[in-house]
Amino acid sequence: MIPSNDAEVLETRRLSSAVVLAVAAGVVGLVAVILTARRGVTEWPFAVVFGLLIAIGEMVQFRAERGRNRAPIATSAALGYVMLRGPAVDVPPDVAQIVAVAGLATIAGILPRAVSGLPWDVVVSSRRVLSVACAAVTFTLITPAKLSWNGSWSHAMALTGAMLLAVLSAGIIDALVGAGQDTERYNRPFPAALRDELAIMGQIGLAMGISGMLLAAGTSLIGLWAVPLVVVPLLLTQFAFRRFASAQRTYRTTVRSMARSTEIAGFSSPGQNARTAQLAVALGNDLGLTPARMEALEYAALLSGVGQLALADPSPGGASLLRTREERQRAAAIGASVIERSGVLDHVAEIVRHSNDPYRQGRANNSDIPLESGIVNVALAYEQLVGEGSGQSADKAMESIGLGIGAEYDPVVVESLRRVIGRGFRF
Amino acid sequence: MAAIAVSALVVLAVALTNITFSYTLLALSLLMLIGGALRFKVLPNHPAVLDSVTLVAVFVIAGPWYAVAVSAFGYVAQLRQPSPMIKRIFNPSYRVLAAAGGGLAYAAAGGPVGDDVLNHIPATLFAAVAGTIGHQLTNALLVSLILWLEGQVRVADFLRSVIGPTFFPMLGYSALGVLLAVTWIGGLGIVACLLVVVPLIVARWAMSQYQAERAAQAAAMRAFIQVIETKDLYTRGHSERVSTGVGMLGRHLQLPEDRQQALEHAGLLHDVGKVGVPTSIIQKPGKLDDNEMDAIRLHPARGVELIGNIPFLEEVKSAVLHHHEKYDGTGYPAGLSGAHIPYFARIIGIVDAFDCLTSTRSYRPARSVEETLAILVKDKTTHFDPELVDAFVDVIRRQGWTAAAVDQPAPNGNVQISIDHDDLSLGSSGGATGSAAGPA
Repeated sequence: MIPSNDAEVLETRRLSSAVVLAVAAGVVGLVAVILTARRGVTEWPFAVVFGLLIAIGEMVQFRAERGRNRAPIATSAALGYVMLRGPAVDVPPDVAQIVAVAGLATIAGILPRAVSGLPWDVVVSSRRVLSVACAAVTFTLITPAKLSWNGSWSHAMALTGAMLLAVLSAGIIDALVGAGQDTERYNRPFPAALRDELAIMGQIGLAMGISGMLLAAGTSLIGLWAVPLVVVPLLLTQFAFRRFASAQRTYRTTVRSMARSTEIAGFSSPGQNARTAQLAVALGNDLGLTPARMEALEYAALLSGVGQLALADPSPGGASLLRTREERQRAAAIGASVIERSGVLDHVAEIVRHSNDPYRQGRANNSDIPLESGIVNVALAYEQLVGEGSGQSADKAMESIGLGIGAEYDPVVVESLRRVIGRGFRF
Repeated sequence: MAAIAVSALVVLAVALTNITFSYTLLALSLLMLIGGALRFKVLPNHPAVLDSVTLVAVFVIAGPWYAVAVSAFGYVAQLRQPSPMIKRIFNPSYRVLAAAGGGLAYAAAGGPVGDDVLNHIPATLFAAVAGTIGHQLTNALLVSLILWLEGQVRVADFLRSVIGPTFFPMLGYSALGVLLAVTWIGGLGIVACLLVVVPLIVARWAMSQYQAERAAQAAAMRAFIQVIETKDLYTRGHSERVSTGVGMLGRHLQLPEDRQQALEHAGLLHDVGKVGVPTSIIQKPGKLDDNEMDAIRLHPARGVELIGNIPFLEEVKSAVLHHHEKYDGTGYPAGLSGAHIPYFARIIGIVDAFDCLTSTRSYRPARSVEETLAILVKDKTTHFDPELVDAFVDVIRRQGWTAAAVDQPAPNGNVQISIDHDDLSLGSSGGATGSAAGPA
């Protein structure tokens, strides 16, 4: 019943773009392997070491927050292999060999994970092969063969500029693909999805790209000694990132458990908060909120009912629609002040505070009230009407919510709800 | 202190006679400035700086003397923050001395400098490791010396909690410094900083984010407790105090860090299941009948149900489930006895009872700490683990205890005569009567 699980269900329902990506990567990889097999491999030691690095990076991939699996070491290593030059490397690898090494190493890295039942993500690996191919083409096209790390400033700067462009091209291709996938999976508007993907590219993507550049420059200058110099810091950072991710998981599940306390106390029916949050997230995706706002929205939807705990006795079935508006608003205010005391969920508290304000007295005249409050308000109402127990049909519920448009509910959000339900959203 | 400042000045003066002033010096100063700006927090009150990474780069690019000459620049990044004069003198001084320590190690290890490096990579790597270790050790030594002189923080604690976890990461990240130097020498010059600064920023981000996320997690748990205590106004603060109490006992028992944290979490969350007990029972005046008592007995299981999804150590959940067991087997929910009761549950049981008795309840005044300790000792063979009671009495006698404020539960018509479930489970009659709960 947790939203993220449902996202995965949705994902399996619409595998189309994943299949396209995997097939594209497979075809590109296969062609590259055939071409390389015909021409023969140049500079074996470098191909083997970088291939190993990619495979190991793929093996130690991890999942950050709610996003996809990440394998920063594999990405950095693959990008590094793209941009090798002299003096250490006499014959730089050509495009076909780069793609072949990246593709084969990726398969070699995934196999142990698949065999031992660890989660792996064919989409992420396919995306990497494609964007690495793109970087390889860019770098080969714009870098004259005579450039090498010979100690002169002009060569070094030209190479650095070329590397930057290659890495950027890979990042942009990856962001475009990622945004397309987000649009498909979560029905986010494409511009909003692209904006978020580019923001990620500017942080994690840039770090991986620059590490790849360091690896390439270092290896070109001092040979394979540079590999541990890049990999050790990368491993340390990945280790820190994992601890960060696990602390974040604890934090998230704590908020979810907090939300379930109203169910245990009998103020809401089992799964009610999770369903409300699931719908609120779908609405937020449809309206193209930023990731930070999405997170606050999800927590606010989960926690919107905690203020009820201060009320003396549970209402039957947890239907807070049955309460008077004053009572609901009072509960929302209590809930907000409780959440506020945590000191880290301030924005969440603000959303909860206004989550039961009718649109006309609230957001219509007061632009300080966040859109998210309106989303939670609509999600709560729809869940009350359709959720377990009450069991109205979606059309009927939509109709009664439509009656409150502009007075009770925010028109923008109701329109979004219409789209979301129209696309087949079910609890 | 004065000795440190004077020796720093001397070292700096010698260094300045050994270098030539050029644009390289300026570029290296800029490099140290960048390193000094990359601060993060190891623990809430212990900042650390990634300047050892840039320092290693300076060893390799220009040699130890230059490193000493520019080392104080790392401190410039901190000048914006207000700090006392004594720190303004000490901080740059110990940076100079630490850089000298590192430089000495680099030179002793035979580290090559400048263009020579590209032909002697293994020797450079070896010397860079030596240089970083030298820098870190001198650094730790000087800070320990100051802490020892100030006498506020125990040096052993500092070494264990700050130097311990950062030593190897710093050593690992110094690899970036060597790379910076290699690309610098390889033709990029100062532009190499741009390449290295991004991984450094990511490193700092990852390291400080962990601390931030732990703080957020702690805050989320406190908010959780706030939510639970919304329902039951008059035990407000109980969970936090129990968490503090078990934390004190855990430190006394010298638990490892992860278990210590788990114990504090368990103390904080031990009563979350009370949210599942109907308010009418929690706030019921006077005695409870068997059905109502059963509802109260359910709260540990409810608590586990509620926190079951949070990835805690298993011990946290078993502690929440069994914190009302008694040593003689008369507690609930499972009637476990003796060492069958999970360790954390035994600890929480003691502190739980202690905090309840030292808090004011509307039907009885708070007992004094000494009085309560006497009760614990009297009951130590029936209710509690005797050894843990002795340890707890020891801890409280030595460190003192801040009991709940007397006016804590705001007098309120509804709750005035309801009896705390922790009171009900005290006393020798097994819990159902609440006889020990009456005015003593």
